[in-house]
Amino acid sequence: MEGKQVEVVDVINRKMKKLAIVIIMILPVLNVFAQGGEQKPDSVYKNRVLESTEIDILTSYYSQDGDNAAVSGGIGTEKLTDFTPTIVISVPLNEDDVLTLDAGISSYTSASSSNINPFDGDQPADPFQASSGASRADLYTNITGSYSHSSDDRNRIWSAKLSFSNEFDYSSFGFGGSYAWLFNEKNTELSINGNVYLDQWKLLYPIELRSFAGQAGDDEDEDEDDDRIPWEKLTGNTPYNPSFTGFNDESRNSYSLGLGFSQILSKRVQGSLSLDMVRQNGLLSTPYHRIYFADKDGSYIENFRLADDVERLPDTRTKVAIGGRLNFFLNEIFTARTYYRYYTDDWGIGSHTASIEIPVKLSGKFTLYPSYRFYQQTAADYFAAYEQHLSTEAYYTSDYDLSKFRSNQYGIGITYTDILTKARLWKFNLKSVDLKFHRYERNSSFKANMVSFGVKFVMDDL
Amino acid sequence: MKKKAILLIMVSAFLGSCTAVKEYEKVNLNDPDMALATKKVDRFEMNFQAYREAASGANGGKTGGGCGCN
Repeated sequence: MEGKQVEVVDVINRKMKKLAIVIIMILPVLNVFAQGGEQKPDSVYKNRVLESTEIDILTSYYSQDGDNAAVSGGIGTEKLTDFTPTIVISVPLNEDDVLTLDAGISSYTSASSSNINPFDGDQPADPFQASSGASRADLYTNITGSYSHSSDDRNRIWSAKLSFSNEFDYSSFGFGGSYAWLFNEKNTELSINGNVYLDQWKLLYPIELRSFAGQAGDDEDEDEDDDRIPWEKLTGNTPYNPSFTGFNDESRNSYSLGLGFSQILSKRVQGSLSLDMVRQNGLLSTPYHRIYFADKDGSYIENFRLADDVERLPDTRTKVAIGGRLNFFLNEIFTARTYYRYYTDDWGIGSHTASIEIPVKLSGKFTLYPSYRFYQQTAADYFAAYEQHLSTEAYYTSDYDLSKFRSNQYGIGITYTDILTKARLWKFNLKSVDLKFHRYERNSSFKANMVSFGVKFVMDDL
Repeated sequence: MKKKAILLIMVSAFLGSCTAVKEYEKVNLNDPDMALATKKVDRFEMNFQAYREAASGANGGKTGGGCGCN
């Protein structure tokens, strides 16, 4: 197990090194464009949209646990840890244009992925025990490039972006664009954005169902022995013979359209309203989320019940979210940032989100960020708990992320800001450091903790 | 009814702003903590919320793409 983790860390190190080399090679080239804008003898003076290259190095560590894992049909450990280093580089190409590259590698270990095959560990299979086999850890990589252009009067901004992400069973390609229009002496802003994501599954069913779907019973990069199911230990309903058919569609496409409106309300108050509409189609079920029916007798190996089927959800979903922010500058020390969102979709889920953050300026350089967030949602029409679904239903899921629940989230953060960017590291001047901690609790056994860290540098001209 | 009242209050607040604030009067509004966008370091928080909750969107975070099923 430790060997696998060391291997994953090595892979991250190698990938981050490669990324750093590519970035160092690209920066001088981009800087030529940036300086080209300055050297135009007859150019009209304009404030640059971005004065100089900025680099954000961001990292987060996330851990969660609970007793309602979807991979084991609504019971079992939801243990997951995730470490995500990310780098964001914004380069001013000239006075008006900014290119941003955003790349991250996420290393995670999860019961969700490990219990796709609960029989490859060195302990008896059990939904409340994450398998220690090779499938427990993996990497998620993503890269996004975006380009923005501002008009001379800075009242019109358009941008375009491309993104790609990949993990062991899923890849996503996305593109999109946005347009913003400021008017009323920049007191009012209207914006519109659209995004398309074309995603692809690699169908990975629970290990015991693969032979019924025509898949070989092995995972990539693993010995076949690791995946061998100890059928000799089968108890309960024998022989195990689920009526299982695999999915035909491996794609999942998402199309989103967003509208935004922001308004300065006074010298101390400003707010925004946003509306997002999303249409998804394709395989919206997760192929390795097990389902156990109330009207079927269970088959067991060790302490693990073998799946009767996998989650089945409709192949379309329409989501609508409307959100509003109101920020108040209370005085030189306190600011209040408030947010509310209403969400609904055609799977029967409705939700309310409300949050408040009160930045407290401790000094010219340090700001404290206490925050609180409340969230509640209704259950999807297709949700039922462990062994509550009937095999006669058309759609079913026991994923508690689609159940009815409430959550409270408490946060605290601190930011160090150096306006004069005095601290230097080679050609990088430190601008700010952020550290945040969040504690998330559902009204169930589910709990999560997250630490986020970010450093922003401003770069000298090369 | 409650939802409609909240919406009405929010819309009224926006429409109630008739006088434009001049650039030289925006010193407090230009405070980084008054920004209507979220900070970069907050992206991780929004990502895990989008993964663990059914709702997403209308917060500057992702509205699609990626599995988030682990």
